[in-house]
Amino acid sequence: MRSTTRVRTLLTAGALLLVGVAIAAIGVGSVPIPPTEVVGILLQQIGVGADATASPGSTAIVMELRLPRILAAVLVGAALAVAGGVFQSLLRNPLADPYVLGTSSGAALGAAVAILLPISGVAWELGGVQLAAFAGALAAVGLVWRVAGIGSGEERIASVLLVGYAVASLLAAALSLVMLMSGANLRAIFSFLLGGLDGATWPRLAAAALPLIAATTLLALRGRPLAALLLGDEGAMHLGVEVRRERRISVALASLATAAAVALAGLVGFVGLVVPHLIRLAVGPDPRAVLPLSSIGGALLLLVADSVARTIGIPVGVITALIGAPFLLWLLHRSRTGYAL
Amino acid sequence: MNDRERALDAHDQPTMTPDASYELLGARDVHVTINEVEILRDINLKIGVAERVAIAGANGAGKTSLLRALSGTLPVASGEVILCTEPISTLSRATIARSIAVVGADLALPFATRADELVALGRLPHGTGPGGPTAHDRERAAAALARVGASHLAARDVRTLSAGERQLIAIALGLAQETPILALDEPTVHLDLKHRVEIADLLVSLADRARTVVAIFHELDMVRDLFPRVIVMKGGQIVGDGAPSEVLTAARVADGWGIPVERAARL
Repeated sequence: MRSTTRVRTLLTAGALLLVGVAIAAIGVGSVPIPPTEVVGILLQQIGVGADATASPGSTAIVMELRLPRILAAVLVGAALAVAGGVFQSLLRNPLADPYVLGTSSGAALGAAVAILLPISGVAWELGGVQLAAFAGALAAVGLVWRVAGIGSGEERIASVLLVGYAVASLLAAALSLVMLMSGANLRAIFSFLLGGLDGATWPRLAAAALPLIAATTLLALRGRPLAALLLGDEGAMHLGVEVRRERRISVALASLATAAAVALAGLVGFVGLVVPHLIRLAVGPDPRAVLPLSSIGGALLLLVADSVARTIGIPVGVITALIGAPFLLWLLHRSRTGYAL
Repeated sequence: MNDRERALDAHDQPTMTPDASYELLGARDVHVTINEVEILRDINLKIGVAERVAIAGANGAGKTSLLRALSGTLPVASGEVILCTEPISTLSRATIARSIAVVGADLALPFATRADELVALGRLPHGTGPGGPTAHDRERAAAALARVGASHLAARDVRTLSAGERQLIAIALGLAQETPILALDEPTVHLDLKHRVEIADLLVSLADRARTVVAIFHELDMVRDLFPRVIVMKGGQIVGDGAPSEVLTAARVADGWGIPVERAARL
């Protein structure tokens, strides 16, 4: 049996790797900053050791431009991967991702409408579009929840997926209409749909951080009831889980995490679908191992993808799809030669 | 030690003779209604420590519903189910899971899952933290796999196992729960003769070790062979409860399953 010690080792190693990659990523950009200087600047900011070698220019680049973006990539990547893993376990479907309940379409429509509204620069800076995307995402999940009767004890997994699909289709149609009428704003809407962390400023990060951190952490600790759900609703009840209650809590937390992630970063695809599968390959399907490790894996993937995106000037959503889609194809190919999803 | 603790403690005893005086599992005037259709009615029964009880009956007679009501996953409309001397409605889901393990008809898993990892899930009711299985959990899971003679399957993906092997793993999962009661829904369905015999022998030996075994069985010859007591269901009611020689006579089988008496006599 794959041991709990191995999971702890992977968690520790992954966390250290994440810190290292994050420091390297802060240095990457049009003005390269060596990792030692990055560490010096960060230490200086938290008041440990006055590093006089750092130029004010480098300090400004690190603190004002890159650090909020790197933190946003870490939080969004972790949230999407954990939410994806939760939805896959909860719906017992390997194809589930964080957007399965219509979050993405709701967020996109909310953002598009906000982009079209004549709002002033101040509201824009404070994240009017992000707020609208957040509200749209939660409204979409709320609608799916109501129609599919999540937590009522009557819901069927297939019908939850179908309701999610129907609501997403309806919202996508509305989004198409809004985009047709958007004229000069089409580019802004389009860039939200592609996903990206360009808009990750300190105020917006601060606004999204609380729901992101809280929901992701709580979900990563909910592996026990989700582990029982591997056996289905009836099997989980026999293992002592209050299935209706657990489903309500997990869907609510995963939707909150996804909505906050989408509001901050737009529609970043594939992180939530692929990362949990990659982790399952390494440690098996138990969510008690999969969810905490997914949070680190998702953070790493989005951090690397965003660094590439910044360097070559392509939206991060395109990069994650370029990495994620071939990886998924490889997994599916493997499923015919041994490993089954 | 109160009655409940004594009942819970029973499964740790090496051997114990069947004792109906501790009511491990029981039902008083239980009625269950789904969509205004009464699917169980007037259910009264008492099952004691280390008893071995078969539930038989035609398809749709209410066997699985009875098992679900007795394990608390099907809410009763009226009456009371008793688990380890206490009304089940007063027990938490986790407490129920430490008292009765239910082995379902088949395992369907969404992801590749090793047999030992799956069996370790049986330890879930015994813990609370967010961490994975402890060393003790893994040890108990390995012991459960060994008990059903499936240690060699530990590292296999459950989804690639044969129906008979999957059934062994499912029983090991129930054993890993370490409950005084093990309930099984058609443990020998879809199995060939060899696996049917193996699983039947296993159930007998489990009950001998002070665990109460309640199993839905379709094969009346095996019920006659292996179970000192059988509960026969028809139309959501218990129509027979006793030794197979009394309850499974040709006339009563003909009535219970709706077949001609002369045909039933040859079963």
